[in-house]
Amino acid sequence: MKCPEAIRLLDAYVDDELDVTGVLALDDHLRACPRCRAREEGLRALRSTLQRHTEFRVAPASLRSRVSADTQSTAIPGRRRWALGAAAVGALGLVAVMGWNAGTNQTIPVSKRKVIYHLSDSRTASAALRTLGNHLQASPTTKVVVVAHNEGVDFLLRGARDESGQLFETAVQRFKQRGVEFRVCTNTLVRRKIEATGIVPEATLVPSGIEEIERLQQAEGYSYLRM
Amino acid sequence: MAEQDKRARFERLVLPHLDAAYSLAAWLLRDDAQAEDAVQEAYLRAFRFFDSLRGDEARPWLLGIVRNTCYSFLQLARREAGTASFEEDGCGEEAVATGAVVSFPVNPEAAAIRAADRARVHECLRALPAEYREAVVLREIHGCSYREIAAVCAVPIGTVMSRLSRGRRLLQQSLAAGLSREDTGT
Repeated sequence: MKCPEAIRLLDAYVDDELDVTGVLALDDHLRACPRCRAREEGLRALRSTLQRHTEFRVAPASLRSRVSADTQSTAIPGRRRWALGAAAVGALGLVAVMGWNAGTNQTIPVSKRKVIYHLSDSRTASAALRTLGNHLQASPTTKVVVVAHNEGVDFLLRGARDESGQLFETAVQRFKQRGVEFRVCTNTLVRRKIEATGIVPEATLVPSGIEEIERLQQAEGYSYLRM
Repeated sequence: MAEQDKRARFERLVLPHLDAAYSLAAWLLRDDAQAEDAVQEAYLRAFRFFDSLRGDEARPWLLGIVRNTCYSFLQLARREAGTASFEEDGCGEEAVATGAVVSFPVNPEAAAIRAADRARVHECLRALPAEYREAVVLREIHGCSYREIAAVCAVPIGTVMSRLSRGRRLLQQSLAAGLSREDTGT
């Protein structure tokens, strides 16, 4: 592979959007070409700067009420008001305060959902992150805490890569930006003689992974998923 | 009852993406109040055209509607302003013609880019021509895949790749330039 081709593929490479053949070819080129390595570093620098300084904007409560009120009123046949303004919120807006499902059933409001992802096996990390991505896509406001212990901490070690050679940390950064927390069991680190500095900075340490899971369930009302 | 089923399905599939919708609108319009209006309008359109949603993949579908609504807001604002404005109109062809080669600096000054502060990052991202800004925002802030960005912007994946790549080059240049200017200024 020559530089122009490498440059063309570099964004997709950094974005984990390149197929395996492309990744392997680009890996080879990057090993041999310091200029393209500098380009890759420049792209990763841009990504981390953007992720540090920009964030997902949360819709103001007033907008939530307006949209909810529209949906309620437009759903009544023959009384559709497409150009409904903020003034129309009134009584209908009240419904929105209680969450999207208010008035239809007693489902927990989306924003109150809290889930633990428990990882104890290094082989399930990729699948767990894929599941997490799908989960958040279906329910972007669900709060997720990933608790890693035993071999489950492996993907949070600095420089850890998945089966296709991509850094786990890239995905971890993206999830963290969306509000996911990663907590690592200190007992595991001690037992496996892993230094705290060997863990990616996105993760935080807790004294015991199991105790953390129990605490989140009992004291904070999290539900539990074993990955 | 069909109407009620439709509403329940809409609430289940589309309403949870309100934050994503607002986030995209705020970055495209660069004005929070306008973004609220655009999202409200987009949801009305989404509800009206809800039958056009195939399957349960509501997010790219909704974001596509939000994007179109934002661009019609921008067009309307321009028409009301009377004359053609120099402000870009959501295309950015003047700034960087399609197919133009944005040079890739040999040394993109990774250190300078990493050191950019929040205000500078926002300034540079807001200054990016809209077609690049939307690709970068959808990727970096919304975490969309290339396929999703292609669906939202109604362009082929190859176009997504080149827009992302050009947008990032421009951002790298402006971030690094801003910093070196500061450095020499003191």
